[in-house]
Amino acid sequence: MTGLTLAVPSKGRLEEQTRDWFAGRGLQITRPGGARSYLGAIEGHPEITVRFYPAAEIARELIRGTIDLGVTGLDLIHETSETGPQAVSTVAELGFGNADVVVAVPDSWIDVTHFHDLADVASDFRSRHGRWLRIATKYITVTRQHFARAGIAEYRTVESLGATEAAPASGVADIIVDITSTGSTLAANGLRILEDGVMLRSQACLFSSRAAEWPPERRSMLADLLGALGASPGV
Amino acid sequence: MTHAVYRRAQLESLVEAQGATRAAPPLLLPADPYFDLAGEEFGRRLLLTSGANGVEHCLRPDFTLPIVADYIASGSRQPAAFSYLGPIFRQREGAPAQFDQAGLELLAHPDGDIALDQVLTFARAALDLFGVRPHIRLGGVGLFEALLAQADMPAPWRPRIRHRFGHTEALGRLLTRLEAAPDAERVPQPARDALIGEITESMVAAGLSLSEGRTPAEIADRYLEQQALDAAHVPAATLQLLRDYLAISGPVLQSLTRLEALAARHRLMLGAPIRAIRRHLDNLGEAHVTFDASFSPRLDYYTGIVFEMRGPGGAVLASGGQYDRLLERLGATAPIAASGCAVWVDRLEAEVSP
Repeated sequence: MTGLTLAVPSKGRLEEQTRDWFAGRGLQITRPGGARSYLGAIEGHPEITVRFYPAAEIARELIRGTIDLGVTGLDLIHETSETGPQAVSTVAELGFGNADVVVAVPDSWIDVTHFHDLADVASDFRSRHGRWLRIATKYITVTRQHFARAGIAEYRTVESLGATEAAPASGVADIIVDITSTGSTLAANGLRILEDGVMLRSQACLFSSRAAEWPPERRSMLADLLGALGASPGV
Repeated sequence: MTHAVYRRAQLESLVEAQGATRAAPPLLLPADPYFDLAGEEFGRRLLLTSGANGVEHCLRPDFTLPIVADYIASGSRQPAAFSYLGPIFRQREGAPAQFDQAGLELLAHPDGDIALDQVLTFARAALDLFGVRPHIRLGGVGLFEALLAQADMPAPWRPRIRHRFGHTEALGRLLTRLEAAPDAERVPQPARDALIGEITESMVAAGLSLSEGRTPAEIADRYLEQQALDAAHVPAATLQLLRDYLAISGPVLQSLTRLEALAARHRLMLGAPIRAIRRHLDNLGEAHVTFDASFSPRLDYYTGIVFEMRGPGGAVLASGGQYDRLLERLGATAPIAASGCAVWVDRLEAEVSP
């Protein structure tokens, strides 16, 4: 492999904002085939191939090292693999796509305001209800890591791929771990974020892959690109 | 015969020589009992696969659970011993997911001390085969429970503290919180009935079931208990006792002497659990033995003495102890004593063949 591969989100606001961010630093990302094409380029940088991928795939491929650079959410890097954060370097925080991964409980749980309350509730949940405390989330890796650090082991996760905030009302789970930017969806569903319930503050970042091969010539291409972006060298 | 094959054959003989039934549970097991017993934390280490009907199975991640589950299903309450050697499967960072474990399970043994001695002797013998003179770390779950039962504090704090035993950071955070407990202003408490009414309304408005999960009464009671607890401080002397106790760690005899002094100073009756630890020391012989008061597995079915044996490189080569609450947790209707250990064969092999 001689050039560099940069993956950017393939659709929606995240794609727009990413292209704006590069354009703001004098690098025009082009997508000659339009929205249905998955291949692009950067004007004046023939050594760089741009690929348009869904954000979750960008996280996965960065961790595997099959792409060199990519724009995706920090939350997805943490969620895709326990070792995700060690497999990439953050080249630049892009200042958009801001959202927090939080744990939220029903508003009616007036006795639960902090993680240590949750630890108490979880510890005797099974003896009271004959089952474990259930947490609905699509952030299973993040949840397991954070709960382990908080000393909470007595729970089960229920994988939720959409409308996680509805899980307590539909009886699928007791509490949720979800991503939120303003908290308004949670509040509208009668859920309250614990006072120490922010598990991860996420935003869109430009990452480089530590797992990719970095022979000297590619490293110098990377340095040139990052110099043009005014970003730190990473890797 | 190569050295590795020879050691393996010797380990095989040692496992056979325990006067125990050789256990060979299936490689494919239902996953739910593991999640039920050990929760999500252990669950993430499982190698899962689901059947066409959606039922989740896992590749055998340990021998203890299927051995104990079979024993309970047999309906027997007679003493029984099981030994094993074979592959287990767990997700591990930077190591193959399939590796061998050897071990021993002694169930319903009439004398827990003797059972634990046999377990310790077995683990020592297994390590001996690989020429490892281990560093043995002992922990006292029964000792901590005895101390907690006698220490002066409002009763609802005991389960909260016990629950965090074995997780040094979580327990440290709780003690720090208790030490800093502000003299909370006594706000007048709402009446329980009124509180239950409010919570019920809030749950109904959010579309929550009043019976499937936490009930309004349960939430109200814990809320009131919590308010009462904020006012009911754990005495500073008790917090200091817990700190002093948890800090005890070092060569076993020296640690036990410090424990006895601490118990005497606070007028605690800890003689029986301390003697239980002393009784095992003779059999541990030449090994380097430490006692660490804060050491405990994070699983609440452990009861008496727990141990781990490490090699010169620091890797845990064998671990186990007494877990008299395990059989009840798995459905036994009465308490049944249990002791056992698991030996990490791949790590032992790595100790001798770098």
